Amino acid sequence: MSNAIVEREVALIDLLDRLLGGGVVIAGDITLAAADVDLVYVSLRALIASVATAEEKGMLPRMGSAL
Amino acid sequence: MIDLFAITDDPAPPLPTVAPLSAVASHGLALVCAPAAHVEVSPEVLWRHEEVVEALMEDRDLLPVRFGTRLDDETAAARALGERHEELATALDRVRGAVELSVRVFGERSGEADADPPDPVTGAEYLRAKAAAAAGERSVLRSVHEPLASRARESRRLAARDRHELLTAAYLVDRSAVEPFVEQVSRLQSANPRLRLLCTGPWPPYSFTGE
Amino acid sequence: MSDKFLHTPPDLDLFAGEPPRLDDALSRRVNADPEKLERGLAQLVLTVVELLRQLMERQALRRIDGGTLSEDEEERLGRTFMELDKRMEELRTEFGLDAEDLNLNLGPLGNLL
Repeated sequence: MSNAIVEREVALIDLLDRLLGGGVVIAGDITLAAADVDLVYVSLRALIASVATAEEKGMLPRMGSAL
Repeated sequence: MIDLFAITDDPAPPLPTVAPLSAVASHGLALVCAPAAHVEVSPEVLWRHEEVVEALMEDRDLLPVRFGTRLDDETAAARALGERHEELATALDRVRGAVELSVRVFGERSGEADADPPDPVTGAEYLRAKAAAAAGERSVLRSVHEPLASRARESRRLAARDRHELLTAAYLVDRSAVEPFVEQVSRLQSANPRLRLLCTGPWPPYSFTGE
Repeated sequence: MSDKFLHTPPDLDLFAGEPPRLDDALSRRVNADPEKLERGLAQLVLTVVELLRQLMERQALRRIDGGTLSEDEEERLGRTFMELDKRMEELRTEFGLDAEDLNLNLGPLGNLL
């Protein structure tokens, strides 16, 4: 790989880790559109709330036999 | 819709003109934003976003906001600031006058093109391999991470992207201490010829916002 | 971009690894979309399992260092961990999760794993 390409990729890795994995999370909901995929990031609090809902609706995956 | 970039003090120096920025103020803090750019995410888009945050960082302290954060409008921005202003003010104080440096460490390339040791077959081999990896990691922590951490206000080990990576860490370093920190990285590289050290930055303090 | 390099080693390409796929990086999120709820819950559950697995492995290594296990016990423990490791990989694949997906951000405490 040419040096310039390597440099770009290496720097991009460090950038991605920060931009997407760090920083202040405002309002708990982030929508990113990448290509045709809409991705939703939900804070842990909201996930725990949905676990409670899922339990009520019997939606939890059966993990017993898998483990 | 608006895209968010960073949280700064209010008042603050005039906004850079690198993008159509505005600052929404509330409780002594400001949220820097711009009209939402409806573009497909690509490396160029990411770097342009980063350029904005770094332009801000040149002459003020800030908390970078996670990329992709989008709100309805400036009213929503003011509300978001108002709801968490105490917590955000504390977070901003924590990073005041400092920047983030990234350090990653690999072992030197082995003779054959990145040959992995053969997969362990027996239970004992598996445990031996794990013990060796753990020892290697402890050794790098002692020889690289600890000396660097002692020159930083704070440090954080991050999840490694690559399973061959021996250390992935972020360091919150006083702006005035960046040069000595980098010199230390260079000295540690010389002292550890079987390691490969990479240091990048300065970055806005993404890993030290308390999220 | 290249002006972000403060110290570079020889073999910089060691650090490039596989070019990061943007949609992969962006998809590293806990997903609570109702249709993908199962995946998000699996992520949470597997993270806890992974934590336990790591703790148990570390404990075993300590016991080995301390010499309190027989060779036979070592062999059996090692085999169990090897198989657990493999099973975790299978479960991850089943739910479309990477090793990096199995983590929880604990705010000021950093990441769980």
